[in-house]
Amino acid sequence: MSEDRDEKGCGGRGEECGRGMTRRNFLASLGVGAIAIAASGNPAAEKEASAAVIKSGEALEINLQINGHAHRLLVEPRWSLLHVLREELGFTGTKEGCERGECGACTVLIDNIPRYACMTLAVEAEGKEITTLEGLMHGEKLGAVQQAFVEHDALQCGYCTPGQIMAVEGLLRKKPDPSLDEIRTGVSGNLCRCGAYVNIFKAAKKAGQLKRGGVL
Amino acid sequence: MMPEFTYIRAKSLKDAFSHLSGEGARIHAGGTDILGCMRDKIFDVKSVVSISGLNDLKGIRETGEGLHIGALVTLTEIAENPAVNGRYPALAQGAASASSPQLRNQGTIGGNLCQKPRCWYYRGEFHCLRKGGDRCFAVAGENHYHCILGGEGCYIVHPSDTAPALIAYGAAVHIEGRKGKRSIPIENLFVLPSQDVTRETVLEPGEIVTEILLPPPAKQMKSSYRKVRARRSWDFAVAGVALALQLKGDIVSSARIVLSGAAPIPWRSKEAEDSITGKILDTANARKTGAAAVSGAQPLEHNGYKIQLFRGIIEEALITISAA
Amino acid sequence: MNGNDDGFYYLRGIPVPETPLPDQNPQPWQKTEVVGRPLPRVDAYERVSGNAIYPSDIVLPNMLYAAVLRCPHPHAIVGKIDTSAAERMPGVRAVITGSSPEADFSWPYSPEMKTKLFNPHCRFEGEEVAAVAADTIYQAWDAVRAVSVNYNILAFVSDEAKALATDAPSVHAGGNKLKIDRYSRGDVEQGFADADVVLEETYRSECELHTPTESHGCVARWDGDHLSIWQSTQGVYSIQATVAKIMDLPLSKVRVIGHYMGGGFGSKLGADKFTIIAAVLAKITARPVKLFMTREETLIAAGNRPPVSMRLKAGVKRDGTLTTLDFSAVGTGGAYPAGGTSLVDWLIRDLYLCPNVRTETTDVYVNAGPARAFRAPGHPQCSWALEQMLDALAERIGMDPLDLRLKNIPSYSQARPGNPPYVSTGLRECITEGAKVFGWHEARKKTAEPTAGSHIRRGVGMASALWIGGGGGPPSTIVVKLFSDGSVSLNMGASDIGTGTKTVMAMVVSEELGVKPDVIQIENADTGTTQYATPSGGSKTVPTESPAVRAAAIHVKQQLLALAAVDLKTDESSLTLIGDAVVSQADPERQIRIRDISGLKKRGLIIGVGYRGPNPEGKVINPFAAQFCEVEVNTLTGEVKVIRFLGAHDSGRVMDRLTFDNQVFGGITMGIGLGLTEARILDRNQTGKMVNRNWHDYKIPTAMDVPANIISLPIETDNREANTTGTKGLGEPVTIPTAGAIANAVYNAVGVRITGTPINPLQLCSALALLRKEE
Ligand SMILES: Cc1cc2nc3c(=O)[nH]c(=O)nc-3n(C[C@H](O)[C@H](O)[C@H](O)COP(=O)(O)OP(=O)(O)OC[C@H]3O[C@@H](n4cnc5c(N)ncnc54)[C@H](O)[C@@H]3O)c2cc1C
Ligand code: FES
Ligand code: FES
Repeated sequence: MSEDRDEKGCGGRGEECGRGMTRRNFLASLGVGAIAIAASGNPAAEKEASAAVIKSGEALEINLQINGHAHRLLVEPRWSLLHVLREELGFTGTKEGCERGECGACTVLIDNIPRYACMTLAVEAEGKEITTLEGLMHGEKLGAVQQAFVEHDALQCGYCTPGQIMAVEGLLRKKPDPSLDEIRTGVSGNLCRCGAYVNIFKAAKKAGQLKRGGVL
Repeated sequence: MMPEFTYIRAKSLKDAFSHLSGEGARIHAGGTDILGCMRDKIFDVKSVVSISGLNDLKGIRETGEGLHIGALVTLTEIAENPAVNGRYPALAQGAASASSPQLRNQGTIGGNLCQKPRCWYYRGEFHCLRKGGDRCFAVAGENHYHCILGGEGCYIVHPSDTAPALIAYGAAVHIEGRKGKRSIPIENLFVLPSQDVTRETVLEPGEIVTEILLPPPAKQMKSSYRKVRARRSWDFAVAGVALALQLKGDIVSSARIVLSGAAPIPWRSKEAEDSITGKILDTANARKTGAAAVSGAQPLEHNGYKIQLFRGIIEEALITISAA
Repeated sequence: MNGNDDGFYYLRGIPVPETPLPDQNPQPWQKTEVVGRPLPRVDAYERVSGNAIYPSDIVLPNMLYAAVLRCPHPHAIVGKIDTSAAERMPGVRAVITGSSPEADFSWPYSPEMKTKLFNPHCRFEGEEVAAVAADTIYQAWDAVRAVSVNYNILAFVSDEAKALATDAPSVHAGGNKLKIDRYSRGDVEQGFADADVVLEETYRSECELHTPTESHGCVARWDGDHLSIWQSTQGVYSIQATVAKIMDLPLSKVRVIGHYMGGGFGSKLGADKFTIIAAVLAKITARPVKLFMTREETLIAAGNRPPVSMRLKAGVKRDGTLTTLDFSAVGTGGAYPAGGTSLVDWLIRDLYLCPNVRTETTDVYVNAGPARAFRAPGHPQCSWALEQMLDALAERIGMDPLDLRLKNIPSYSQARPGNPPYVSTGLRECITEGAKVFGWHEARKKTAEPTAGSHIRRGVGMASALWIGGGGGPPSTIVVKLFSDGSVSLNMGASDIGTGTKTVMAMVVSEELGVKPDVIQIENADTGTTQYATPSGGSKTVPTESPAVRAAAIHVKQQLLALAAVDLKTDESSLTLIGDAVVSQADPERQIRIRDISGLKKRGLIIGVGYRGPNPEGKVINPFAAQFCEVEVNTLTGEVKVIRFLGAHDSGRVMDRLTFDNQVFGGITMGIGLGLTEARILDRNQTGKMVNRNWHDYKIPTAMDVPANIISLPIETDNREANTTGTKGLGEPVTIPTAGAIANAVYNAVGVRITGTPINPLQLCSALALLRKEE
């Protein structure tokens, strides 16, 4: 068997190549009001404010509320929150394992709820409170979940760990005293190829105790 | 890696309709499915119309008509809702068994019903029938997870874990588009490959699912959703069954039995329903019902196991519900 | 802070071992103070705070992002490539292909088989065809998609069984047979004649993928002619060697840094093609380049555990004496020589006493991604067959499977020439102690009782194992520095791949010098600043590095005592280190605090160098193991739920109880993947492409698939003869017996033998239905 075929790229189906980001005219496409309102973090107001149309290849200035601080930056429509956190803003506590919602390494809290930053467009995160691993620190001091992970050796290579910690943090914010089953379900969206699950369960339990005892 | 697209944040349904009229425009609700499709370049998307900010599509409320679930309600919200858990447990179980916690926190019920199939040929670098190609690769390929019922030309299984329960409860889907509103039984939402191999729902371009309406459940109704997967989390149904049974004493007076992982649409098994209706809910009848469900099955090379699996899961689900 | 008063630097009053004279070997540790305790990782803070910068986290000023165009076909000749559209795209800074002079390097798939970096004859889906560097990763991929390639698509073969057919397409000129290895001892036919029961069965272990959570990749940067590479790797020095050789650079011009890494399991032992590609793109653009594989790319082109089909025929006497093992296997390491059958017969040869053994393994080429060493290469596959066979034999002769194994425990290596003895073998204790703690006999009794009515059945199973390596050995060089205040820095080349290497080595320093582990500064995995080390793999890092660390710490102590002796005006052999002071044993009044030693003050630093000495001659150092598990099988659906596990492991001395246990949990978790969920699936009849190239379709275990109840039971044998820390390896044996133990438990539960991995509802449900029909 032998046949000749012309193909584009790995995908095989070539498509129109976009014009690339121009980083201009963004003001034109940007609801100026959107920024102000997003910065005030009022989700109810968000609806009226955002009528944005961002053309492919253009960038929009958005305001992201990350760990209690506002970050103003230009994003392309296609940029994921994960990309923005890691490559644009340097929040490398959020890891990248798959970029397709299949590993949990990128877990962050959005309005206190665990979500995958890779499956969230940066533009969709505007006006929401984003918490990353860095946001669990108290200055140089580890947060309760982080402390429990250390104590119970709930990690090996450590690469899935930030995501696991965020998943446990999200779980405990909703359910301060989870059962073993609830813990397992709570981290069932976070793969650990090193297989530290058993210790992660223990750490989650311990973190709950710490938090209930007043450790944040 | 994600190709370029135009992003539109719809500020109202009307706004969304107008932006959706363009070619290559797609709805973004939670985004958990559409973003994956775009990243894998399954189809060309020129613009993404985000409806995630439309508060009218959020929330669960109760009226005399039944329970209204907005299209943007997340799977987590459904799984944890007391009314759903109390009266429509199969839906709560279905929602709770879908994907992973993070995806359930983000994925919406509207998106769950309208998500694209997970066939690995469709999702992969294969120009298959459903994508406008000339063949279904599953026919002669690695068809372990493909359908045993209702396949014709294309052998996907429907991916939704909530649809079987919604059909079992006789839910209705409210749809709105530029031309107006309509409401259809959710059973009629889905499209078999024999009808049109390029689409999964009857939605016209630009139409949006706005709400699901669950009618008040009859008294004496028992319902459940049970799902078997190849891995215990983050996995679609290899086989699933939603049951909604009406009981008079020991006798099943009416039954809805809907399968996931069996067919290109959530598959209502009339054969199984007929088999159990009017019968006592015991092991022997449960077994017969399982057998009836797959009586018309036409397995492919690697999915013959599904016949046994559906027999087993239906038998088990019926026994479990009888004991409940 | 004052180390003397509050004990910041020193575990005050805690004795440290004797200091041997410079020409003496240290005595084995007696009672240890730090080693053996459950100590949280010394680098845990960095890892849980986000401070640890993994290679994939690196963002350098002015950095570009690269992406690789890979052949979408399993077998094709690359023809014309048109990069003009890609080159014109916004943000694109360089596009390279096989015809770019800058990329004209050869790539050694094996020592014998080299191809071009961009190989025009692609033999597996995912072989590199071109690469792009652009301002953003999105733009890089836009450009990759805009490169158009003319492929001459060739016929392919995906199935190792079909590869040997006469009409099979050839992966390489010369056919698909890579090699056949044969081994035999005794007389197999006689063995069958001596046996009371002979059984024969075929088994298959599917292709398993490493999929570490951090994908494979690097950042490359040139400073003039000096190349720096940050790579997610198990061994910086092996990358340095390969890159220097391929690019014809002096070793000193290639610096490889890998301080942290997010898992490897054997797939990150060396340089990768992307290392060279990133370096080339960085050279052309004169900018740093970051190149990490996507998850999909890692699944098709970053190694795998070779799939293998096995046949085993075995004989046993009624009393449980194994008389013969006759084994053959066909496996494939993919499209290039990659050890498709390496070590796949080792447990047959060496685990159980057996006088008559014959093995034949055939390694073939297929058009699929090349294998890489994967956690205990060959062993889990072999264990899958052997351990199921042992159970079947035990059943046939009416013996407890445990007793059959106990009956055949060797004290020496049968497969090695001269039958050298093991330094230690805890195999018997692993089995007996493990059984005791697991409650094996009670559990077996329970599962034998009839379970009326319920369609859920319980079963228990076990399997034992050894790992061919795990002894470690030279080379290793370690530097320990003692600062003038008595605090310490440890400098080693080895990577910590998640096993806790840094922590264990800090404990060794702590044991010898009395300094607290958490105030030891550790510098590792950097060819520019740390000592030579072999890659962290083969379960040899602890037994290799820890004796050298111990030697370096002792070397520091010796110098310290010598300097103190000058101040104390005494002979150094009468001195000892106690807390933060050097004290005369004869006259405890004569002592000097470390910070007061004038010679040290003058020098500011003591450097101790430790080397790894040789292993004892004529002896074998292997770790041993037994694992036990209980499962629940749903007989209607074929679902298997693992209820609990116990791993009894003889890996010599336990260094850190926490990281030891964690390895056991992790190995069992990975074994559950092999046994229950994982398999690469190629579209073998149509396109040869991998269909399950993502983490959803390629299913590794989640938190719901592992039991919360896993017990780690260390069996500490005496290994003082092996090395000065008495250690053996652990990282690999922990995953060897797992899948086999599960298969045996499933059989115990429902009487069905699933001989091919993975035991999922797809397989088990049909098998159970068949069984019901037979009944
Ligand atoms: C790794 C992974 C595993 C998963 N496992 C499961 C599983 O086990 N079971 C399961 O059921 N699902 C599973 N899913 C799918 C996921 O749960 C659903 O995709 C989710 O509910 C979709 O909701 P969404 O809002 O994110 O959809 P989106 O991605 O926003 O939309 C999905 C599709 O529906 C269309 N759409 C969305 N909302 C509407 C609307 N209101 N009206 C009309 N069209 C609309 C979109 O245009 C798009 O085509 C999985 C997904 C992933 C990524
Ligand atoms: S990187 Fe987001 S889920 Fe894997
Ligand atoms: S610690 Fe390595 S993947 Fe979880």
